[in-house]
Formats: sequence, C-alpha cells, structure tokens
Amino acid sequence: MNIKLKKELGQKVKKVAAAGGYSSPEEFVEHVLEREIAKLEDAQSDEEIVRKLKGLGYID
Amino acid sequence: MKAGHFFKPGGSLRTAIAIAFLAAAWFHPHGGAAQLAYIGPGAGIAFLGSFLTLIAGFFLSLLSLFLWPFRMAWRAFRRRKSLRHAQVKKIIFLGLDGFDPQTTERLMAEGKLPNLARLAAEGSYSRLRTTFPSLSPVAWSTFATGVSPARHNIFDFLDRSLKSYQPRLSSARVGKPERVLRLGRRRIPFSRPILELRRKSRPFWKILGERGIGSTILRVPVTFPPEKFDGRLLSAMSTPDLKGTQGSFSQFTTRIEKATYENGSRYPLRRDGGGFAGEIEGPDDMFVEGGAPLRIPFRIERRGGACELRVQRWRCRLDPGQYTDWQRLSFRTALGVAVSGKARFLLTETDPEFSVYMSPINIDPERPALPISHPPYYAVYLANLLGSYATVGMAEDTWALNEGVIDEDAFLEQAWSIFEEREAMFRDALETTRRGVVACVFDTSDRLQHMFYRRTGTADRHAGTIEEMYRRMDALAGRTLAFADRHTAVFVLSDHGFCAFRRGVNINSWLRENGYLHLRNGDGESGSFFEGVDWGRTRAYALGLGGFYLNLQGREARGIVAAHEADQLKREIAGRLAALRDNNGAAPIRTVYQTASLYRGPYLDAAPDFIVGYNEGYRCSWEGAVGKVAAEVLSDNHKAWSGDHCVDPVLVPGVLFANRKIAAADPGIEDLAPTALRLFGIAPPAWMEGKPLL
Repeated sequence: MNIKLKKELGQKVKKVAAAGGYSSPEEFVEHVLEREIAKLEDAQSDEEIVRKLKGLGYID
Repeated sequence: MKAGHFFKPGGSLRTAIAIAFLAAAWFHPHGGAAQLAYIGPGAGIAFLGSFLTLIAGFFLSLLSLFLWPFRMAWRAFRRRKSLRHAQVKKIIFLGLDGFDPQTTERLMAEGKLPNLARLAAEGSYSRLRTTFPSLSPVAWSTFATGVSPARHNIFDFLDRSLKSYQPRLSSARVGKPERVLRLGRRRIPFSRPILELRRKSRPFWKILGERGIGSTILRVPVTFPPEKFDGRLLSAMSTPDLKGTQGSFSQFTTRIEKATYENGSRYPLRRDGGGFAGEIEGPDDMFVEGGAPLRIPFRIERRGGACELRVQRWRCRLDPGQYTDWQRLSFRTALGVAVSGKARFLLTETDPEFSVYMSPINIDPERPALPISHPPYYAVYLANLLGSYATVGMAEDTWALNEGVIDEDAFLEQAWSIFEEREAMFRDALETTRRGVVACVFDTSDRLQHMFYRRTGTADRHAGTIEEMYRRMDALAGRTLAFADRHTAVFVLSDHGFCAFRRGVNINSWLRENGYLHLRNGDGESGSFFEGVDWGRTRAYALGLGGFYLNLQGREARGIVAAHEADQLKREIAGRLAALRDNNGAAPIRTVYQTASLYRGPYLDAAPDFIVGYNEGYRCSWEGAVGKVAAEVLSDNHKAWSGDHCVDPVLVPGVLFANRKIAAADPGIEDLAPTALRLFGIAPPAWMEGKPLL
C-alpha cells in the first residue's frame, strides 16, 4: 500500500524520523501507525500465546 | 560427517544441484508451490496456489529471465562504484554465542586455544561490551543494526501485551490468516498467515545490499521471518517448530496410559503384538473449526535385538542411544494439503519399559511451511546440497535434558550434530563468496555452558565438557582463518559471556513482599502469567529475564501509577531492591538500572522500566520469569541448566578477535555494523549509534 503525504508533512516526517533515531521515514510512520492501531486491536488468546512459548529454554 | 571435517563438494556438484533445483522448481508443481504457498504451522494456513497465481508466476518468471542480463549489469555497476573506496573484499563474522572472555583468556594463557591466540597476537583481542540486558536476541540485534535496544525494539526474549499482561515473543509474531472463508466446519484461508519480524531499524547487510554488496547471513538470532535484501539468509532464534512453538519435544513411552503435557509432551506407547504402536501429534489442522492436532500413527517392530520404526512410507532402525537421521513427517490436513516437518528419533530405554524421544518437529527445509530463508529457495538449496538440518530457532533441546527425557550424552550428540550441520553451511558460504560478508552464529557454545556449567571443576565425567567445547570452537576459528587472505577482514565475536546460576530471584515475590504487587487471595502464590494478580492495587510486575515494569496509567490497560508518580516510585523501588540480601548476607543484585537512563530511542516506551543487574551466581528465578509470584523470593536452581548470562551486563562482556589491529579502548557489540560498512567504503548512517572500529 502506498500512501501519499503532503509535501510539507513529508518533509517534517523525514526530519522527525532522523532526529528520533529511526532508520527511515517509513519506519517512523509505521511505528506511529502500529502504536495507534494496537490500541484498537484485541489481544490474541492467552492460551495460544503461552503455548507458542513452549520450548524457549530460558523459561520453564 | 565427522566433527572438524568439512563436507567438500566440488564446484561442479554445487552447480549441478543448484541447476537441478531450479529446474525442479520450474517444472515440478510441488516445487513451484513451495514458493507460492506458505502453510503456517499451528498458526494458520495460507494456500495461494490458485491457477491464476500460477499463470501470473509463469509470465513473471519469463519477464524476470528476460531482464536478468540487465539486472546483472546494473548490479555490477553499483558494486564497482561502491567498492571503489572499500578496504576489503570480504568480511567474515564468526559468532560464538556466549563465548566467555574469562574462560577464553585462561585457556589461551594455558596454550589450549592456539588459533585464537594466534589471531590475538597477529591482529587483536579485547572484551566486547554487550547490551543491557545481556541476552542473545538483544545483543545480536544490536550487532545487526548498530543501534541500542531502544532503536531496534528487542529488550528481552519476552515482552507483554499492554492489554492482558500476557507474554509475547519479543522478536517475531506469527498470526492466523485474516481472511478466511467458512464452509460449515471447514475454514479456507484467503490470505497468508501474519508474519512479522518485530526487530526494527535496518541491519548492515541490507545497507550493503543496497550498494550491490551481497552477504550470506547464517543463523544470526532474530532473523525470522527473513527480510528481503540483496543476499542470502537462513533464519535463526525465534523460528518456530511445525507446531508453532519454540521447540516442543515428544516422548513416547509405555510408562503412561494417557498423554500428558506437563513438562513436555508425553504420549503413551501401546504394546501391540511383538511391538508398539503410537501416534505422533503435529500442528493443529487450521482448515477445520477448532483445529484438532493432526496425527500420524506409527509402529515399532522388534526383531531379535533390533527395533524398526515404521511411519507413513518410511522405516528406520532404532538403536539405543543413537539418533536416527532427520525423518520426514507429512501431516495431511482436512483439505488434503500436506504440511511437512522433520524430526529425529532416539530410543532411550527398551526394558522393562520402552521409550522413544522425538525432537521438536522442525520446519522441513526442503518443503518449508513458513519462510525460513531469503531467498526462499536458499533453505532448499542448503538441504539439497548438505542434507536436512535443524531449522527451529533454539535447536538444541535443553528442555528435554532439563526434564531427564534425554541424558547428557544424547544432548551432547545432538548439539554437536547441529554444530556440524551449521559448519557445513558456513563452509559452503565461505567457498562461494568472493566479495561481501559471510556471517554465521554458532549456538553450541551457549547451550553447552547453560547445561554443563555446574560440572566444571567437579570429579564428574562431564567436568571437561565446556573446556572441550572451547577447544573445538578454537579449531573452528582455525579452519575459518584458512579462508582469509589479506583482503579479508575476520572477526570472531560473542554476544555475552557466562557465569554460574545457583540461586534464582523472584522479583514478583519481592514486589509482593514489599507492597508493590498484590494478589486477589492475599498472601498465597499466584499462577503463571499473573493468574490471581490484583491489577487494581499492583504498581509493578516482572516478566521475562532482564527486567520489570511499572503498572503505568495510560500505558498498561489496568495501570494505576500516574505519570507524575513514576520517577519517584522508580527511585524508591530501585533503591530498596538493590538492598536485597540472601540468607548468607550476599547481595543477589549488583545494580538496578532504570532503562531510561541507559538508552535513548523511539522504542524506549516498550522497554522494561528497570533492568536488573544480578550478581554472579544469581538470575531471575524460573517462576519469576513467567510472571509467577512464589512463596519465597530466593530459591536454589536445581536444573541441569546451571550457567547463565542474565546478570549485570558489566559482568559478562563478550569477546572480540580480529585479524586487524583494533585501537578502540572499549569496543561494543554496536560497533560491528558500522565497522562492516566502513570497511566497504560506506559511511555509517547517522541513526547508527556504534562507531567504526577500523
């Protein structure tokens, strides 16, 4: 998916991404969007999450 | 293949196999499907092999073939331009996970690591500063990206859901396909499963690839799912097994009558005539509502003194104490699609009871159900060239040894067998790379120290296991150096060191004792993953190995600590926790770090608020790591897993050897990525925090 930003906003995104320590403006935009979307999403079922951790040697 | 001897295919054999594979992929419907359709183990199945997709794939392949000479010319042009300022033609990174500087320095002084000693004398050796916390997924992510955890987002093996406080694997997410057509009980996915690498920022090999410099990256942790770049990569830590877990062994035994999933999956073996019968439990059938596990029946026949395992169309001999080769297990789903995995079997007892161990069912590298390499055919190429191999992230089955399902000898045989598989891949990459980077991480050093640390210095027959491992890694370094000419930079490095793990500290229990965490049932114990925690009165909680969190308003779903209280509370908790004392007066904790004082970066708000710097001999307890409040804060560690590195990172730096002089006084693992770029004449980008060492 390609999303077009207004030129001025694009410039600001580049600046803020560089100042924030992101490796690219895309990473910055993704991070902001992911953070917002995570607030709206449901958590995966707990049982499934715990099952997937089986075998990780560091935990029992 | 014996340890220490490389598989030596001729160039013509390699070419022939590559051509044969490409031809097979072109003409064979299953081979083509391997690239078009990924079947998600235990997490969802995407089937994209529609007729339209095949047609589109065919024409795209034709177009790709037509454009190939132009792409090659463009790539050669870019590479030549990039290499104009390069100091080297090739860089080799030999990663030895957990290779400890104190042990290394002692053994070098005793003359037991001649190759590394030579490398140190002719080039350089120093300790390598690691990350906070000193955990492999964190440190290797910093190696790859040249940035701190606050910029790559990996702070531990686990992080937590801010909604449910439940743990998640920090490095990767595998989810079910989002678009599913329901037909009665049948479920037909119309999209791929969700696969997400949660490590952020950009690895140095991607930047090199953008300049036309290719890399081969083998089993560097936190590379699943594989990212696209100009090069080849085989995924490592966090790659699931076919069941979608991080590696679940199975035991089939006459000792039980019903399956049990406590401390590993154990299944009954029925005595049947002169032999035994059982069922292998595979991934859930995601084409069916409710998805029951797919099963494969098997038989074991006894003939004289020998046993034969019969599964599907293959048979193999089972000899006590000897692993079988990798065997294919093909699980057929309700829609007829087969999901393929590979496992090895070991007969562990025959009389009076009969038991067989089965390794975790690894994703079959020849028919990967999930992408485990880039390009996708690289995993297949390696399997065709060198034979099948372990693909699950943490391939050495430490859990089975902890639970006594396999013994020390069986564990060692498995670990060294995996080492040999990896060395063969590494050798192939070294032989086929004229320019660019070859990086390979070996986990044997880490796993053996975890499992045999307690034995060192005892009269036990495994007392010398760790020293023997150091010698074998030294020999590996020697063989690697044979591939280096004056245009090649070689780095041998580890992500952290090691120390003993004798006592566990349950931070959750300490928080409860000190009034920061409350249970609904008062003074009792909680279940795992915070079962029974009263979030409405809990101000801090611990999950994972490195640190713990405040229950912050506006961040956690049921957070109660207001933002203006947080700093004061952090200081208070850090001060009180650092004063914790063991029964003998020893201090289990050296320093409690506030993460915000360690790092700056965009992902800092996902980090634990505290990183606990344990003293040598201590670590977070097994129960505390999984969010359980136990009765005691401090407890003995009785497991075979007796060495660890989840301590104050200052105590466990890694090692760094190079075949060039490194003048930096305090090299850190974040410095390797910018060093690789600088050696190829590329200025490190501004976001990288590491500094070039050369």
